[in-house]
Formats: sequence, C-alpha cells, structure tokens
Amino acid sequence: MNPQEETFYVAPRDLTRPQFPTLADIGLKFQAGAWIFFSFGVLFLVIGGVANPAQGWANVLITAFNLTAVGLGGLFLLAIQSITGARWSDPILKAHRAMPALLPFAGLMMLLLWFGAGHLYPWSRPEAHHDHLMAGRHAWLNKPFFFARILLFFSLWILVGRRLVNKGKGAAAFILVFGLTFTLANFDWIMSLEPAWYSTIFAVYGFSGMFLQGIAIVTVSAIVLRHVGLLPEVSRAQNHDLGKLLFAFSCFWAYIWLSQFLLIWYANIPEETAPMRILLRLPWAPLFYLNLILNFLLPFVLLLGRKAKTNENILIATCATLLVGRWVDLYLNVMPAVLKGATPSFGVAEVGGILLQFCLGHMACWPVFMKDANPDQELPQRP
Amino acid sequence: MASTEFLHGTRLRAAFDSPEGILAAVRALRAEGHRVLDTYTPFPVHGMDEAMELRPSRLPRACLGFGLLGLALAVALQVWTSAFDYPLRVGGKPLAAIPAFIPVTFELTVLLAGLGVVASLFVVAGLRPRFRVPDLHPGANDDRFVLACEVLAGSNPEDVATRLEGMGATGVALLVDDRLARADSFWERKAGPGIYLLAALPAAAVLGLLALLNRDYHFRNLSWDGGMGAQVSAASFDASGVLPGGTVLQPPPRGTVPRDGLAPLGFGPGKEEAARAGRELQNPFQPTQANFNRGRQVYERACAACHGKDGDNNAPIVTERKAFSPSILVSKKVVDQPDGYLFHVATFGGPEKMRGLGDLIGREDRWKVVLYLRELQKAAAPRPPSPPAAPPAAPAPGAKP
Repeated sequence: MNPQEETFYVAPRDLTRPQFPTLADIGLKFQAGAWIFFSFGVLFLVIGGVANPAQGWANVLITAFNLTAVGLGGLFLLAIQSITGARWSDPILKAHRAMPALLPFAGLMMLLLWFGAGHLYPWSRPEAHHDHLMAGRHAWLNKPFFFARILLFFSLWILVGRRLVNKGKGAAAFILVFGLTFTLANFDWIMSLEPAWYSTIFAVYGFSGMFLQGIAIVTVSAIVLRHVGLLPEVSRAQNHDLGKLLFAFSCFWAYIWLSQFLLIWYANIPEETAPMRILLRLPWAPLFYLNLILNFLLPFVLLLGRKAKTNENILIATCATLLVGRWVDLYLNVMPAVLKGATPSFGVAEVGGILLQFCLGHMACWPVFMKDANPDQELPQRP
Repeated sequence: MASTEFLHGTRLRAAFDSPEGILAAVRALRAEGHRVLDTYTPFPVHGMDEAMELRPSRLPRACLGFGLLGLALAVALQVWTSAFDYPLRVGGKPLAAIPAFIPVTFELTVLLAGLGVVASLFVVAGLRPRFRVPDLHPGANDDRFVLACEVLAGSNPEDVATRLEGMGATGVALLVDDRLARADSFWERKAGPGIYLLAALPAAAVLGLLALLNRDYHFRNLSWDGGMGAQVSAASFDASGVLPGGTVLQPPPRGTVPRDGLAPLGFGPGKEEAARAGRELQNPFQPTQANFNRGRQVYERACAACHGKDGDNNAPIVTERKAFSPSILVSKKVVDQPDGYLFHVATFGGPEKMRGLGDLIGREDRWKVVLYLRELQKAAAPRPPSPPAAPPAAPAPGAKP
C-alpha cells in the first residue's frame, strides 16, 4: 500500500451517529455486567453458606457493613461540607451524592441476618439465656429489639440523608443522628459478635474506618469520572485535598487502632485480651499485621510527599490498598468471633460477598448518578 | 508620600476587598510582565500559588528531616532507658515493649517536626524579632487582601497604579523603602537605655536562679512561714541520741519478773536443757474436754501444717513437696519422750529442723498441745506398730520423673 495514501486515509463514518458510546450505552453495558456479577455473588454466597453457614452469614454481615460504611461515608462527607460551607469539593459532589443510594440495599441485607443471627450472635442462641455473662445484656441484645434497631437506624439514615442529598438541608441533624446511631450500630453489629468482650472506643474505631473508606471511594470515583471526562472541573487542587484527607484519616485510623490495642495489650485483663490473643497467634497473625500495613503503613509511605498527593496513579493505588485494607479490617473484626478460633479462610463466600459489593455499588449508585448527567453524552468527551 | 528608588525598580502596593479581586490583579500584573513580590491575605486564597507561579516549598524536606530526627531520638531514648540502661520489667511485657513506645515516639516526632519546620521557616525567610516592621498597608494584617509588586522596568508606575485601581484596588501607593533595608543594622544602632535594661534581664534572672538553686536546706535562708517549714523532728528509724548505742527501747534489766503473768520458764534452748525439762516438768493441765479442745485447736493451727492432722506427717508440704521429714509424732520414739521434753521442743525447737514456737504459742497452750498429742498417740496406738510412717497418699503423678 502506498504509505502516503494510508496517511491521508480517513475511514468512512456515519457522522449522524455518535462516535463514542454514550452514557446510556455504557450504563446498559454495566447493568448487564452488574446483574451477572450479582447472580454470581448470590450463588457463591449461597454455596459458601451451605458449606459453612457461619461463614456465609458472616460474609453477608461484612458485605452489608461495608455497603453501609460507603453510604454513610458519602453522607457524612456531604454533611460536613454542607456545615462548613466548603467549596473545594463542589466539583466532586456528584460522587458523594450517589453513595447514600447504597443504604437501602445494605439495610435489606442487614435485615436478612434475621435468619442467620443464630450462627453469628451468641446472644441470640437459646442457650445464651443460661449464660450468667449475658444475664444483664438480654434487655438490649435480643432478636426483636436488635432488628427493630436496624430498621430504625436505616430509616433514619435514609430519611435524613435523602433530605441532605436532595435539598442540601439538615446536615447538622444528620451529624447528630449519625453520631448516635452509628455508635450503636457498631456496638450492635460487630462488637456483640463477642458479647462478653467490650471496648468503649470501638465505635470511634468503626467511624475512623468508615470515614477513610468513604474518602477512598470518593477519590477513586472523582479520578475515574475525570478520566472519562465527566468531571471536567476536578483539578490537581482537588486531588491534593483528597490526598491530604486520605493521608490524615489513614493516620487517624492508626491512632484509634492503637488507642484500642495498646490499652488491651498493656492492661492484659483476661476478658479483654481473649479475642486479641487469637489475632496475635499464628494462623491470624499475618492478617493482623497485613491490616496495619494496608490501612496505615503503605498509605502513609505512599502519600507522604506533596507530589504523591496530586499524582492520580499513586492516589488510585493508595485507595485500592485502603479498600482492601478496610475489608481485611472488617474481616478481622468479624471472623475470629464467628469461626471460634478456626483458621482464617478465603473461600467461595468471601468471593461472593466482594462481588456483591461491587455490583450493588454499581446498581445502586449509577441511576442516581445518571439523574444529573446527560444520557446522550459521549464518553470520552471530545476535546 | 516620598518615594525612594529601589535597587531593583519601583514598587507598588494595592489593597483589595475580595480574594477574587486580588487573584485577578495578580494574574493581570504577571501577564504584563510585572513582578508580584508577595500577597498578604487573611486566609489562603485558592489558586494563588498557581497565579504567582510559586515554586513548591522546600520546607517539607526540613519537616521530614526533623520528624525522622524526633522518631530516632524517641526510639533511642526509650529503648536505651528501658531495655539497656535500667532494665525493668513492667507488667510482664518485654523490655523493649514497642507498642508502649508508640505514643511517646509519635509525640516526639510530631513535636520536632512541627518546631523544626517553624524554625526552618524563620531561618529561610529571615524572620527574626524586630523592633519595627514595614508598614505595608493598615489592612494587611486585618481583613484586606494586599499585594506588593515591582513594576517592569521601563513602564510607568502611574499607569500600572491606574490599572490596579480599575481592577478594584484601593490604597494604591508607591512603596517607600522599607526600614529594614536601612544602612545601619540592628547591631550597629546606638543603644538606648531600654537596651541596657533588656540586657540586664537575663543577668538578673541568672543571679536570681543562682540564689534559689544554691539554697542550703540545713539552714533557714528566708522564712516567710514563721519557721513552720523547718521544724526539728526525728526521722523514723533514726538512731536515738539519748540512749547509748542509739537504741530507742531499753531491754528490761536482768532478772526482771513480770508483775502479772507467768514466772520465767527457767529453761534455755539446747539438748541438755530439753532432757532436764523432761525430767523436771509436769504437765500442769488435766486431760479435760476443754483443755483437749483447746489443744486440738492450737495443734491444728500451728503444728498440723508439717506434722499432719493425726501426727503422722500426712501434710501436703511433706507428702507432695517433700520439703523435709519431721519426726512422726505418733511414732514410738516420740511416745516414749516425757511431757516436759515435748513441751521444751515446742518452745525452743527440735534437735534438727523444727523452730521453736515459744514466741507464737502461749505457755498454757503449749501444755495443752502436749495434752492433745498424747490423745493422738493413744488413738494411733491400736494400729499395727509401724505403718503410719508417711502413707504414700496419692503421690503426685508429675513429681517422680
């Protein structure tokens, strides 16, 4: 072929049709993928649950808690930005607004635990009524009240959150409601897995992780959306701010983690140490240290420099580290209690739970995101 | 206002009311080639760094350096003090208890990083305490957004000033030479009386401290409490200055007899004395039920721990720990001893290991124990002559190997 001819060759195109897939096309494609993932996720969870019911239900809890954390993380970021009148985040608010759509799904999954509570929560088993350690706790930890609280928490979050997302009002009310309910939710859902063990800082610990997760998700969404051209306003300054938030709250998580661990480790009171002892022993110890590396050490080293905080590749890598770290952290909070000291395993149920998180994340957030986007918009946008 | 020619050119100042105004002005000035020296804003203005094209600050490096220094100091201090210099195990934790070191390490890292970066800023920016600061604009330290710029050589400063005013600036003025650049530096200036006063302050402080630190606590240096803080009092366990040898309590003179209570025993420790006691002493108590009960009470409290409840050495410390083997009280050897001998052993101790219990058990109680012991021996007598010798009584399984 004549090279000159090739150089000037222009493919015949139908210029009346869009040259790139539109948002609506992409949404359809993603929707198909999401449904496939969803069915696989449910299938895996069911298989894993049949093989080992405790592990299956624990993964439902992990998945639901992670989705709740992302939803609340978006709402909380939105609320503090509304309260402080922040303007740096205006361009990336699209990501915040979509995240609370996860809450109804997460709530349904939490309510689903009604059928598996016996496998997870020792206080819900009949023999718990003869356990003198639980004698005083039945007033709070009983099945009807527990699930009524779940219903109450999610309705509050969804109602107050909807007002915040749609009208931009009620941020202060949300913070108040959130502070109380999320504390109780942490105590209820995670800490009561071992009813005889308690740590008063546990809810702060849960909050630090939740907020970190929210920032990571927002950062990832902002960078991805900017890359496909949907958030043209996002600049280096926003990346820098998000990087600083990630760095700060990774340190905050480590601070709270240490505040909980150090006291338990140093005081060495038997009833407090028992769950920590399992984590520090061999089958669990690698995960225990991995948790610290993923949630604190790696993000700290990666994001220490100023340039790193504006570098999108580093930001994405850090967010990936943190999101895996969040899952490991939650796994470590849930699994040792549920498996009763058995070896940690990454099985079918875990895969199912993670798949569900991804596809529910898409299924819930995409429609909200499309509300204020033009479905005919092409991606990538032409310059 | 008098204007001075600067070394580098004419300098202007301008104040704005909003961050947007000053940002636009900075962009416009730079676009025309003027040099924006600095901006003074009540809060950081987003986009100002980019508009002024400031280089990234080098202070973070100083911050990192000082942070690492703090980290190293904290770790070294704690590991050295608690694991090497004065190893002291606390709470069963390892000597170098890393988790316990984290709070101090964190604090020292942050402290040195923070102080160090501020000190570095002062050094780099040439900030030092000054008596007079350049009066750029009255609002520069308040709520105004003030910029200082250097006009491009060759352009008319008045034109630039007019353009700035067109962009919403107020108080545009030529900058007079700032007083810091005056010929005589701080150190060359003629000192006034205030300086001498100031210079005398450290000296006064040092002198005052010397007086305070050199206090001799054996004397009353300065009393404002009427002497209540410096009383003469004896310290506990101090030697007494009154009695010879520094003792506090004097022993009673030899031959002293208590006015109420029992007469002295008249026996001393030793084998001969024990034999003499066996010959001379009789048990003053009759074998009544009350004496028997009291004897049993005392025996089980004081003697049974080693000799066993039945006098057959069946006590855990003997059978399990095998610490020692006391005389078997129900054996023939002991049965044949007279009461006085047993009383003497209970008082001053046995021929081998047993310690005397005369200081713990009253004299009457010791006699009643002897009484009870005789009853024990009677109870043990019908058994075959030799068996009560330390029955193996469930030997501890782990003890033998």
